[in-house]
Amino acid sequence: MQTLHTAPEPLPIHVVIVEDDLGFRDALSQIVQTVPDMRLAGMASTRAEGLALLQGPPADVLLVDLGLPDGSGIDVIRAAALQWPSCSIMVSTNFGDETHVMRSIEAGAAGYLLKDSSPAKMIDEIRSLANGGSPISPIIARQVLAHFRQAAAGKAGTQESTADPATQQSVLSAREKEVLNFITKGFSTPEIAKLMQLSHFTVRSFVRRIYSKLKVTSKAEAIYEAKTLGLLAD
Amino acid sequence: MRYRPTPLFANAVFVFSVALLVAVGVWYLVAGGTPPLSASLHLTQADWQRVDAPGFSAPPSTLDSKALPDTWQRVVLPLALPILPMDVRPQADAAGPIRTTWVKLSTQGQPLPSGPLALYGIRVKTGGTIAVYANGRLVHRAQQQGQLWNSLFTPLWVVLDKSTGDAPLSEILIRVEHSPSSRVALSSLWLGPAEALRGRYYVRQWLQRELPATLNAAFLVVGLFALLVWFKRRHEMAYLLFFNLAAVSFVGHLHYYADLPITQGWFAWLTANALFWLVMVLHLFLCQLHGRALIGLTRAVVGTTGVISVLTLPVLGVLPVFPSTSLLVPLVYAIVVLMAATICLVGGIYAWRRSREGRLLAIGLGVCTLLGVPDWLLHNDVISPEGWFLGAYTNAVTFGMFGLLMYRRYVNAIGEVEQLNAGLAQRLQAREAELELSHQQLREAQVRQTISDERQRLMQDMHDGLGSSLISAIRSVEHGGVSELKVSQILKDCLDDLKLTIDSMEPVEADLLLLLATLRFRLEPRLEGTGIALLWEVQELPTLAWLDPSSALHILRIVQESIANILRHTRATEIRVSTALEADGVRVCIEDNGQGFDVDKALGTATGRGLHNQQRRAQAVDGTVTWLSEPAGTQFTLWLPLKRGALAT
Repeated sequence: MQTLHTAPEPLPIHVVIVEDDLGFRDALSQIVQTVPDMRLAGMASTRAEGLALLQGPPADVLLVDLGLPDGSGIDVIRAAALQWPSCSIMVSTNFGDETHVMRSIEAGAAGYLLKDSSPAKMIDEIRSLANGGSPISPIIARQVLAHFRQAAAGKAGTQESTADPATQQSVLSAREKEVLNFITKGFSTPEIAKLMQLSHFTVRSFVRRIYSKLKVTSKAEAIYEAKTLGLLAD
Repeated sequence: MRYRPTPLFANAVFVFSVALLVAVGVWYLVAGGTPPLSASLHLTQADWQRVDAPGFSAPPSTLDSKALPDTWQRVVLPLALPILPMDVRPQADAAGPIRTTWVKLSTQGQPLPSGPLALYGIRVKTGGTIAVYANGRLVHRAQQQGQLWNSLFTPLWVVLDKSTGDAPLSEILIRVEHSPSSRVALSSLWLGPAEALRGRYYVRQWLQRELPATLNAAFLVVGLFALLVWFKRRHEMAYLLFFNLAAVSFVGHLHYYADLPITQGWFAWLTANALFWLVMVLHLFLCQLHGRALIGLTRAVVGTTGVISVLTLPVLGVLPVFPSTSLLVPLVYAIVVLMAATICLVGGIYAWRRSREGRLLAIGLGVCTLLGVPDWLLHNDVISPEGWFLGAYTNAVTFGMFGLLMYRRYVNAIGEVEQLNAGLAQRLQAREAELELSHQQLREAQVRQTISDERQRLMQDMHDGLGSSLISAIRSVEHGGVSELKVSQILKDCLDDLKLTIDSMEPVEADLLLLLATLRFRLEPRLEGTGIALLWEVQELPTLAWLDPSSALHILRIVQESIANILRHTRATEIRVSTALEADGVRVCIEDNGQGFDVDKALGTATGRGLHNQQRRAQAVDGTVTWLSEPAGTQFTLWLPLKRGALAT
């Protein structure tokens, strides 16, 4: 912590917002502009504008709403994951419900932002995301666990080589599973950090890693399915 | 899948089979006589005379025609001699006077082929013995015991030994002994090399005797087959009648082939009457087919048959019977032909529109009747003795006709079975489709029921929760005097309500802990900044199979209400949430360190509406809620069953 103070001012977090709800967009942009370590790098209110923004210089955090007037925000997330690989993508949602969040994570999102959160909470979330952490809810934790159980069961039939890097990448480590299990039981991030003797930040970075594995396996599954359906050549 | 040969292959098999039969037939005919027929001599000129004698006498081994009386009369063959009356009554004495008819054929001056010769004639008709002399030497004898049953259908065939011939053949003499009342006839004769004539002889023999005999045997075999069918299917009289027909027909036609002398009266009786029986059976058959009793005709037919059968009985001897054919043959055959014609006509008329099979049978009977006519004509010398006895073929016609009937029935039966199978498959398919449809309807009904239940639940929830919160918020704003903070708080409560509703529909997979975790996740932002510490001391719990969205919402609301009460009414600084597993249920405890309240009093007043709601909701999931309040804090307990009677799965 000491080093942070002596080091030169860290680079500000560049935030891009793709949101059609003007009230929320204005509120969010104001919040972002009020904190010194963030910069509003761009705003869009449609899918097309959002995709156009991706042609520009990459931001650090991209906030995307799923229900855009001319299409799904999922497309924007998918394109951003390809064109801005270093960017942390965040989906803004009213309820943080499982269906929307899981789809976004599988498309490449690293977190979500509840729209009714307090401004302080929003700033915290954006900052945490930019630093490599990710939020998670008990329901989503359960879904992620179920997803990897299924993937493992599916793989068990086909191949056993855990040395394969692709396989390793799509298997949760014991620690990661432990984190997820604690979350499904209702423990908060600080409580888990205490129970597992980790830092608060490490727990959230575990979640980020889990999300990226989820994205990889989802992609692998999509390819596997496409192959079995004969859409892709072997 | 059944193997189906290609049409080309099937055609090839058919052509091959037919060609095989044709080739064998041709070979059989051609192999007989290679020399042309023109090499042989057709003898049509003859002399005849007759001599009456007291009895039969054996023919002498040599005979000079000049020793016979010189009363020769010139005739042209074929020859049918009239019955000439005699002084003696014919049947008075079986061994009575015998007439000998002589026929002399001269070959003098005619060009005779060299090599061994054969004599061939279509028929020698006589009731007695036959002897043939060549150049006065006996070369052939037949019917020493009198007429044979098959005599009329057997051609004359004599191979003349070469040893006769220092002198060339100049004369052929035929000696025929017979009773004066029986008819005598002689066809024209052929003289020539045996190889040249054998073909004709064989064809005649085969067509007149052997082919009908073969067909007769085949008919009997098919009749036996019908009998076997009848054994299995007693109710179908037609098969028994068919067997009867085959049997009667076989017996009735046996005389065409039996190589036995006509001496036994019984066989004659059978032969003659079998025809009547045959016609009678055909009549009954026809009646079966066209379905009309025709009582009058049936009586007449059965009556005639019965009377004739009885009257011709050898033991009774009312009517003259075989071997004295003279009277019986023309009469009996005429009656049977008449009867057959009547039945054919009447049966044909009735069957014409009603039964294709009956029509076929009537036509067959007609053909049989027509075939019987030449027999009658030949027997009575109305036509040339060289004609064919076609009566032998009535059997073939009957056989063919019934064969056709059976063929039709067989093919139809196969068709019906196939159709039945197809129908069965179709019905099965239809039933399956119906079943599938009803299943689908059932599934749809279930889905509709589920949707309806869920809609009702959400309606109830919106009405009680979100709806009433919003109404009170609107009222507060309209009445004024409410701070913006307060309004914001009310709206936040509304949103929390909505979130709970949504969470209740998330897949918690019967995990109560996950449900509580979700609730904590939702409430955490509200606790932030209140300074209240939340102690989360939960334990692993077994899954509750009955935890559906509706029950989940009840539990969420109970716990939420409990925490809201702590926030609203106590000055607690600490909330402790714990879970515990018991014998037949689970326990969720929420403790606070606030000032506590009088539970009984609160439940008794209107302000205790929240507590009543919690009780009601707990009852809805077969659970209970209890409060234990002290000045140092309150312990709220929600007890839930592990299994619920109605919903236990």
